[in-house]
Amino acid sequence: MNDLAAMAELVRVEAVTRQFPMDHNFVSALDDVSLRVAPGEFLAIAGPSGSGKSTLLNLIGCIDKPTSGRILIEGVDTSKLNPKRMTTLRREKIGFVFQTFNLIPVFTAAENVEFPLLVQGVSAGERRKRVAAALESVGLSARANHRPDLLSGGERQRVAVARAIVHRPALVLADEPTANLDTHNATHLIDLMHDLNRRLGLTFLFSTHDARLLEHTDRIVRLCDGQIQSDALTAPTRLKGASHEQVLAVSL
Amino acid sequence: MSKFLLLAFRNVFRNRRRTLMTLVMVGGGVTGLLLVGGFFAYMYNGIREGAINNGLGHLQIFNAEHFTRDEVRVLDTGIENWRQVAATVKTGAHVRGIAPRIEFYGMISNGVKTSVYMGSAVDPDAEKSLGFSTHITAGNNLDSKSGGDVEALIGAGLAKSMNVRVGDGLTVLAMTSDGALNGIDVQIVGIVNSGIKEYDDRYLRITLPSAQRLLQSDRITNLVVGLNATKNTDSVYDELAPSLQGQTQKLVLKKWIDLATSYKQIRSLFNTIYIFIGIIVFFMVLMSSVNTLLMTMFERTREIGTMLAMGTPRMWIIALFMVEALVLGVLGAIAGLATGNLLASLIDHAGVHLPPPPGSTDPMKFYVLHVPALMIGSSLLVIVSLALASILPAIRASRLQIAEALAHV
Repeated sequence: MNDLAAMAELVRVEAVTRQFPMDHNFVSALDDVSLRVAPGEFLAIAGPSGSGKSTLLNLIGCIDKPTSGRILIEGVDTSKLNPKRMTTLRREKIGFVFQTFNLIPVFTAAENVEFPLLVQGVSAGERRKRVAAALESVGLSARANHRPDLLSGGERQRVAVARAIVHRPALVLADEPTANLDTHNATHLIDLMHDLNRRLGLTFLFSTHDARLLEHTDRIVRLCDGQIQSDALTAPTRLKGASHEQVLAVSL
Repeated sequence: MSKFLLLAFRNVFRNRRRTLMTLVMVGGGVTGLLLVGGFFAYMYNGIREGAINNGLGHLQIFNAEHFTRDEVRVLDTGIENWRQVAATVKTGAHVRGIAPRIEFYGMISNGVKTSVYMGSAVDPDAEKSLGFSTHITAGNNLDSKSGGDVEALIGAGLAKSMNVRVGDGLTVLAMTSDGALNGIDVQIVGIVNSGIKEYDDRYLRITLPSAQRLLQSDRITNLVVGLNATKNTDSVYDELAPSLQGQTQKLVLKKWIDLATSYKQIRSLFNTIYIFIGIIVFFMVLMSSVNTLLMTMFERTREIGTMLAMGTPRMWIIALFMVEALVLGVLGAIAGLATGNLLASLIDHAGVHLPPPPGSTDPMKFYVLHVPALMIGSSLLVIVSLALASILPAIRASRLQIAEALAHV
């Protein structure tokens, strides 16, 4: 690997295998997968159901551990972290967006967005500012005091995006973020995520089999039966702050 | 921290029906404990005041030897200069009056049949002034001014055994303080029924001068001190005890509680019953709360997984569940206190009566006292029970595997 690639690396997945016990055997959800993600990428992991998309995201998000291989986030080998440091890493470096939104139902939109900052121990004044900015960035300032049950599906997912970015993580992981949305809301969400990617330089890594989302993606990693089938750049110029050569270098 | 408490508080009201059921159960437990405990407290008060007003008094003064050795001769462990002692004690604060007593025993005869009696000699005026009552079923009480025959009250069982009625005469025999046998004729003026058969089968009461004449002694067994209120017992005891030290005889002061053996036994029995009820309530609340909180945990599995994924420390999850349980416990306790006190007031106002207890012909009033200690105790019981109930769900929630929790349906 050249030095340029190493410097620009945010995530490195090295020969990762993840097996799950089933009856008296093991089923491989991922089989010897290697992948590198540069800062500022807008990367989709595509593939049919059961191809290992969510498993790969869980492993990169440090909420699951590989059976073999290792994953590095900003050069830190996550397999060597104890549970407490893993929690800290997730808290500080990663934002999550889930298919089913997963908002806390008894909290308002603003309180949901505030939660990661609360966990980080950010002061009340700073929390207020950042929550307002995050909600503003997803266009939901007017809905700040509404609880999730009073929001539409699209609005809920935008709140989830605001929650994922409010603590300025290095990486936002989104597992099938448009799967529960209609076309209008899905398109809106894709535009929003892409806009945040370009405007704030946030790295988005998401799993999808939504063709609408893939059309807007810079790079697509296709998984099938737990293995990477292809890893292709669709529009390298969109990759903010990186040259074509850099993208290629970290992608290989 | 305030947001965290807010989250816990809102979670409590997330499933209102389930929360309501839990509050009904927890509140019901507190209500039950308040009603039962309040009734027991009323009963204890009744038994205590009954014992005190039936002659036990609030304090009693004895010769110290009364408790250290058996009498060789009648009244040789009695109080010698009792009038002087009584005069000293009578001047004390809260002292309502003093009644001298002699406890003695001997044989009683109707000329044909002889039986054993347990005698008690009293000053009728002193007893009356202290409000000490005797349950007389026939005839009258003793009269201190009676100048004729020696008056006596006898127990219903003894009267039956001796085959006598009010107005009949009996001969009372006893050993004098010199060791000689003495006897006096008495006239039955009243029949006493205490409700305790063993007592009524041997009971004899005469006036103090009559007993002193029978026993040939100026001594008495003890002095019974009556106070204006039972709550003053300890303070008067603390004041009187040192003043009794300067007497020629070594005297001891006893509180009513030291002498009320049956009261202590009854209280101990009912306290045990109450503790048993408390344990049942504790485990009822505990088991059903564990079930409720586990259901809550399973329903919120994905939410907990989300919180953990966002880097929430696992201790926060434990704390969240425990705070939610504590909020439930506090709300349940408040509901129970409100309901319990309201029901107690309604019962007290309604004037409900229970069937007469053994040994009594009067129906027992069903009255519930409002006891602050019971309110605090029963509230703490359910709060602790819920706190314990939350441990298992809280630990299980904190140990969830994040990936599995997020996939939970």
